[in-house]
Amino acid sequence: MLLGIYVGAIPAGGVPALLLNVPGTPASIAATWDGYALTRQGKAGLALGVHALFALAGQLASLVFLAVLAFPIASFSLRFGPAEYFGLALFGISLMAGVSGKHVAKGLLAGMAGLALATVGLDPITAAPRYTFGQSEFLDGIAFVPVMIGLFGLGEVLGQMTERRTAAGPPPEDLGRIWPSVAEFRAMAIPGAVGAGLGTFVGAIPAAGGDIAAVIAWEQARRLSRRAQEFGKGSLEGLAAAASACNSAIGGAMTTMLTLGIPGDAPSAVLIGALLIHGIQPGPLLFQGNRPLVYTIISLMAMAAVLIALVGLAGAKPLARALRIPDAWLWSGIILLGVVGSYALNNSLTDVWVMFVAGIVGFLCRRASIPLGPLVLGLILGPMMESNLRRALVLARGDWSAILLKPLVLFFLVATVASLAAPLFRKRA
Amino acid sequence: MMRMRVWLTLLMLLAAGGCRQAAGPYPAREIKLVVQAGPGGLSDTVSRVMASLMEPSLGVPVVCENRPGGSGALAFSYVSRRPPDGYTIGHAPVEIAMVRTLGYADVGPDQMDLLCLVSKTQPVLVVHPESPWRTLRDFVEAARGKPGHYVLGNSGTGSIWHVNALLLERSADLSLVHIPFSGSGATLTSLMGRHVDAVVAGAGEASPHVASGRLRVISVFGASGSRLFPGVAASAAEGFDFGADAWSGFFAPRGIPAAAREALTAAMREAFSHKTFQRLCEERGMEPVFLESEAFHAFAQDEAGRFAMDIPRLLRMRR
Repeated sequence: MLLGIYVGAIPAGGVPALLLNVPGTPASIAATWDGYALTRQGKAGLALGVHALFALAGQLASLVFLAVLAFPIASFSLRFGPAEYFGLALFGISLMAGVSGKHVAKGLLAGMAGLALATVGLDPITAAPRYTFGQSEFLDGIAFVPVMIGLFGLGEVLGQMTERRTAAGPPPEDLGRIWPSVAEFRAMAIPGAVGAGLGTFVGAIPAAGGDIAAVIAWEQARRLSRRAQEFGKGSLEGLAAAASACNSAIGGAMTTMLTLGIPGDAPSAVLIGALLIHGIQPGPLLFQGNRPLVYTIISLMAMAAVLIALVGLAGAKPLARALRIPDAWLWSGIILLGVVGSYALNNSLTDVWVMFVAGIVGFLCRRASIPLGPLVLGLILGPMMESNLRRALVLARGDWSAILLKPLVLFFLVATVASLAAPLFRKRA
Repeated sequence: MMRMRVWLTLLMLLAAGGCRQAAGPYPAREIKLVVQAGPGGLSDTVSRVMASLMEPSLGVPVVCENRPGGSGALAFSYVSRRPPDGYTIGHAPVEIAMVRTLGYADVGPDQMDLLCLVSKTQPVLVVHPESPWRTLRDFVEAARGKPGHYVLGNSGTGSIWHVNALLLERSADLSLVHIPFSGSGATLTSLMGRHVDAVVAGAGEASPHVASGRLRVISVFGASGSRLFPGVAASAAEGFDFGADAWSGFFAPRGIPAAAREALTAAMREAFSHKTFQRLCEERGMEPVFLESEAFHAFAQDEAGRFAMDIPRLLRMRR
């Protein structure tokens, strides 16, 4: 039951992301970039179809990894100490430029704003309050789910409300096809595989989940693609990479959970609790003493994934019909859901205010064509980068070279530099 | 017409509100139990199990609500400011005695009606199985030989396990490097990957990893050992008498009616002795201890006084 909800929540979170530009879960943020663009082009059906198929592909691929390579993946994830997390976060932040589209300078500005917001709350090392203005509500920092709902959901609604008089009319109501063509499939295979592979590994690393996996996969798929310029404007390849990455992160997180008893993300922490209540102790002993149970869990997850993909495909038409709801109703519905969603996260009214403020900021940024992806990236990755760099510095007694020369960190640094420098060389060639 | 309708609705709402107040003896409606941490953790599990076991004797639903933030400061301030009618209560972990001293919120046990204490969790010192240390003595001697060398992980600066690490440092006159992670899970993971030398965590948090052979416990901080680790000596037995347990209890806003307080504590006493709760304690490495309202109050005030003295001194010692 819980497994089903876990497996189902991520693909389901993608649906509002595709149709309404409101990510249902943090993991589906990368799916909005191409998915919503497709919807606006009148290809909502196709977007939903591709998303459901590649969500399934990602989940199945990661489950195969889990069944075959559980222990190598788990011991690799243990090598991630503070320095390595810093490297990963730095690499993630270097993608800000990539997700900014045409407006790189504005994107970086938004990214810096995101990083600045990420400093609100208790200092990760000394636990001194920063920028909380004496409000205990901000001690844990600014929650990024309400920020996301506001920036993307409310911002989009406000944008549509004001643009309506000048725009050519409502978005096309035609659903279009659901199944991609063979040629489209062929184009999506590589990005899908990139997504699944990266998603499994990033998901397996404790404290790094589907959101980071999807952003990294999307950006890597863009670099590999021959039609990179379409990314962010309704590229099926981008959607496939994002969908398979955020969903394969589930299998990755399950790997760490089952082999080491360490939750890879918040939902798997709840799952550990559920297993414990049934007297099942996740960890290496589970694989030695209770192999049938492990494979039952894996096959249950696979079944759930298939079922959810079927529901997703069958439901594509009725779901996309949501677009035919008169705008005024749809807008108020989104705002209502945004309020409820922000409050439900921590039962905190502060989060609802954060959502509204983010909505207005999102609207203004849209007007100024400032891309918002980098802002969210900064907010998500900022705390991870800061706290782990400072931990790493404590461990290394302030010796930077000891951090930077660790093999995995070096790998991420090289990858960061390469990803930033690559466009310079490509232009000349 | 419209105006009349509005007035009518308001009137009906008022009437409904009035009904709520006037209805029968306590409890007449559902009780909200505010948990200071997110779902899935120990505080959440203890609260949810207790809530479900209290329902039969109270005859109304007890609904848990998670309000995480600021080491519990948010939830404690929220519950303390609710009307003291017995329909909003809160989970009271050791942090109720710490957040004021840490400066997160001006709230403490003196502003609450404490209902009862149900469990305690002992701090343990955990090392990697490949490390040479088998007792606290081994560790202390190694650390004395190399001041400022060994790295001790904890679940967050100012957390109860950090305080215990500082107490160890003071009691054994060591100089260690402390490094905070976000929660014990992340801390123990970093120890498995050998990114730190040792970790102070709760007995129940460490025990699954000890059972699976990935970590080793070398000391239980305090006067007595832990049932979870029968072969491991208490720190006092090795000559280091220190240790601050984590604990779990429940509180209400100050000034709730005596009838409500009695009904709640009676239901909690019954839930506490239920085999489901006792089994939970055993599985999660908590010591089931029941303290009635007054005893809990004295205990919590005592703890708060001790933290108010110790925490600033311990944190200053670091600088």
